[in-house]
Amino acid sequence: MTQTTLGETVPAAKLPPGTREHLTSPVTQAALRIQNAVTTAAREHLGSIGFIELTPPVIGPVTDPGVRGAKQLDVDYYGHRYKLMTSVILYKQASLLAFDKIFYVAPNVRMEPLETATTGRHLVEFTQIDVEVRDARRDDILDLLQGLLRHVVEHVLRESKADLEALGRDPDAFGPLLREDFERMTHAEAVGRLRGLLHGQSSDAEIDWQGEKLISEQTDRPFFIVDYPKGSRGFTDGESATRPGILRNFDLIAPDGFGELCSGGERTHEYRRLIERMRESGENPAKYAWYLALAKEGLPASAGFGLGLERLTRYLAGLDAIWQANAYPKLPGIASP
Amino acid sequence: MTAVRAPRLPEGAIRARAREGVAAIFPAVGEYGHALFGAAPATGPVPDELDRTRIVPPVFVPGRLERMFELGREPLYGDVDLRCRIGGFAAPLPVFLCAFGSTQAATGSGLGVAAAEQAGRLGIPMVIGENIVPMHGYGREDEATAPKDGMLERIRTYAAAAPAGLGGVVVQQSTEDADAEVWNLVYSDPVATRLLEEGRLAFELKVGQGAKPGLGGMTVLSRECAEAVSDLYSVDEAFGRGAARVLRSSSPGTFTEEILRRQIHLMRNNYPRARTWVKLHPGRDVAQAAELAWSAGADAVTVDGAEGGTGWAPSVFLDQVGLPLAECLRRIGAHDAALLASGRIWEGGRALKCLALGATAAGLGRAALLAVDEDGAEGLVRLVRCLELELRLLLSALGRYRIGELAPDDLWLPEGGPSQSPNASPSPSPNQAFEEAWR
Repeated sequence: MTQTTLGETVPAAKLPPGTREHLTSPVTQAALRIQNAVTTAAREHLGSIGFIELTPPVIGPVTDPGVRGAKQLDVDYYGHRYKLMTSVILYKQASLLAFDKIFYVAPNVRMEPLETATTGRHLVEFTQIDVEVRDARRDDILDLLQGLLRHVVEHVLRESKADLEALGRDPDAFGPLLREDFERMTHAEAVGRLRGLLHGQSSDAEIDWQGEKLISEQTDRPFFIVDYPKGSRGFTDGESATRPGILRNFDLIAPDGFGELCSGGERTHEYRRLIERMRESGENPAKYAWYLALAKEGLPASAGFGLGLERLTRYLAGLDAIWQANAYPKLPGIASP
Repeated sequence: MTAVRAPRLPEGAIRARAREGVAAIFPAVGEYGHALFGAAPATGPVPDELDRTRIVPPVFVPGRLERMFELGREPLYGDVDLRCRIGGFAAPLPVFLCAFGSTQAATGSGLGVAAAEQAGRLGIPMVIGENIVPMHGYGREDEATAPKDGMLERIRTYAAAAPAGLGGVVVQQSTEDADAEVWNLVYSDPVATRLLEEGRLAFELKVGQGAKPGLGGMTVLSRECAEAVSDLYSVDEAFGRGAARVLRSSSPGTFTEEILRRQIHLMRNNYPRARTWVKLHPGRDVAQAAELAWSAGADAVTVDGAEGGTGWAPSVFLDQVGLPLAECLRRIGAHDAALLASGRIWEGGRALKCLALGATAAGLGRAALLAVDEDGAEGLVRLVRCLELELRLLLSALGRYRIGELAPDDLWLPEGGPSQSPNASPSPSPNQAFEEAWR
C-alpha cells in the first residue's frame, strides 16, 4: 500500500495491509459476509413496509454540502465541473416527487481531513443506506430507524452466527438494543454529559470525534442525539419553526465507543428558507440551480437518514477499525486501490 | 521591480525603506551636523484623521519607573516588548500581512510568494486573499501550469520560512471560492498539516473590504481570461465593447446578523483546529458587526478602513464610500477581543495610533506589495524593521513598554477634524470621543 503523505501520523499497525492480504484475511471475509447480511436484511425490512429502492446517482453539478471539513471531489463532465456524491440528500428530496418512501444503497466519497485517518471511523469512500419519507416528522424516522436496526441485528444474529463467533463478538452485547427503546437526548444534554466527563465540548458545534467516542462508551445500547444547533450542519437539516437556532435533526450513536452510525432529520424544503440557510452556511445559491428550481415549484416536506454501512458492520462485527469492513479501504490522505 | 504603483501612498518613502532599511526612518545621515530639521508641512496624499492625529508623550512617565524597577537601570527603546498575540497566533510585533487577492499586482507577478517568504521569515501572520483558487488554481493538481503565486506555493513558502511557533497563515474564501471549497482544500492538504498541528492556520471570512465597501472583489481581465471564468463571475464590458479588457466582479455576498453568526459557527464546527478570522468593511454598523463576530466565536476581527485596499475599485468608492479607519476604531471602542486594523498603514506612527485606539495589530497591504516589488528578497523585511524600530521609539517615548499599555490618551487630534461637520449636531471632540470609547 502506498502511503503518500501522512508520514508518521498513522501508526503502521492501524493501516490496512496490502490488497491480497486484506482480501484473503478471515477477518475481512467474515466482516464482508456480515455486511452482506446487513444489506439483505435492510432491503427486506424496508421493502416489507412499502419502500422503493432506487439506484443512486454518482455524479451531479452539486452534492451534499453539509459535511464537516471534508472536500468534495470534482469530475470534468463535458467541461462542466461536476461532483462525486458526498451523499445523495438532494436527490433523495427530489425523488419524493415520484414516490413517498424511497431508499438507496449509495456510495459516497468525501476527502476527509487528514486528522480523521486515525479515528477508526472514517473512510474516504463508503456506503450509506439512505432513506427518505415524504411528510414524515423526526419522531417517525427515529421509530423507523430503531425498527430497522433491530430487524438487521436479529437477522445478523440468526444468519451470521459463525462469523460473529469467529470474530469474538458476543451476541449478548445486542440484548439491550433488542429489548429497550433507544434513549433520545438533546445536543445540549449531550454537551452537559461530556462536560461532566471533563471533556470541553462546544455547545455551538457538532460533538467532536473524541467526545463522540467518550459519550458512546457510557452506554450499552444505541441512542439518539437530537436538536443540534444550527451552524453545526448544512442547509438541508431543517430548523425548528418554534425554536430558532435548533435543528430538527439527529445522530444515532452506537454504544461501547463505536460512535456515530447515522445522521438524519427533517429537511429544509421551502425555497426562501433554503436560500437563507445556504447563505448561513456560506454557500452560493447559484450553484444549486436545479435543486432550487424544484424547490421554487415545491419540494415535499420530508425526513430521513443516511446509515453508514461500514460503520454499522464494524459495530455489529465488533471490529477495531472501519477499514476492516471494506474490501478496498481508502483512509484519508493515503493513496490506495 | 515590476510596475506596481500606489499613487495614494507615499510610495517613494516606502520604497526607500524597502531598499535602505532602518536608516531610512531618519533624515539622510550625511545631513547630520549641517541641516536643521523641523516639522514639515504635510505633502503628498491628502492627510486623513489618523495622519493629523499626533502622538503625545507625557512629561511624567510612571510606566518608565515601573520598567526601571524590573531592569534595575534606565529603560531604553530596546527594552520595549513588542511581542503579542494576533488572532490566536504568536507574533514578534503587532503587524500582519493583509490579504492580496487575485489582483494582478499580487498574483502571477511572483510578489505573492516573495511576500510570503519574507512574512514567514519575520514570523508575522499572513492573510491569503480570496478568489485565487477559482482564478488561478490551487497548484496541486496541475503543477506544471499553476501560477508560481498560487495558493499552495504561498502556504508552502511561508511555512518553510517561518520560525517555530511564530506567525500563521490565514486563508480567505469568497462566495465564489466556496464553489472551489478553498477551506476544505487547505484543511485536508498535507502542506498545511504542520501549520494545523501547531495551531498556525486560520480561515478568514471576508465580509467586505475598505477600498470598496458593499462591493465584491473586482479585477480587470483580458477577454480570454474572462471567458474562462464567466460561469462563476459577472463580467462587464466596462471599458467599451470590443475593448481588450473587461471588468470581472464577485458578488458582495448577502449578510444579515443571522447569516454572519451562523457562518462563523459553521467555520468553527467544520474546522475545529483552525482559527476563525472575520474581515469587515468600514460600514456604518461596523461596531455591531464586530461585536457579533466576536460573540459568535471569531478569534479576530479585521477592520479595513476606507483608506485600505490593494484591489481595483471605482473612484467613487475610493473617494467617497466607507468610514475612515479612525472612525471605525472609535465606533468599536473598548473591547477585550482581537481587533486588527488596516488601511494605508506603512510606518510606525499610524500603526501606533491604531493600537492606541484599541487595535491589537496593524496590517500592511499595499505598502508590503511595494516593498516586495522594490526588493523581492529583503524589501518587506526592511520595511517591517523600520516600523518595528519606530514602534520601539514611540512606545518608549510614551513611557509604555508593552503594546497593551497604549491608550487613547497617548494621542491628540487637533480640533476641527472631519467629524466636526458644521451642519452636524454638537458632538464631542474626537479626543473626548476616543476617551469615552475607552471608559
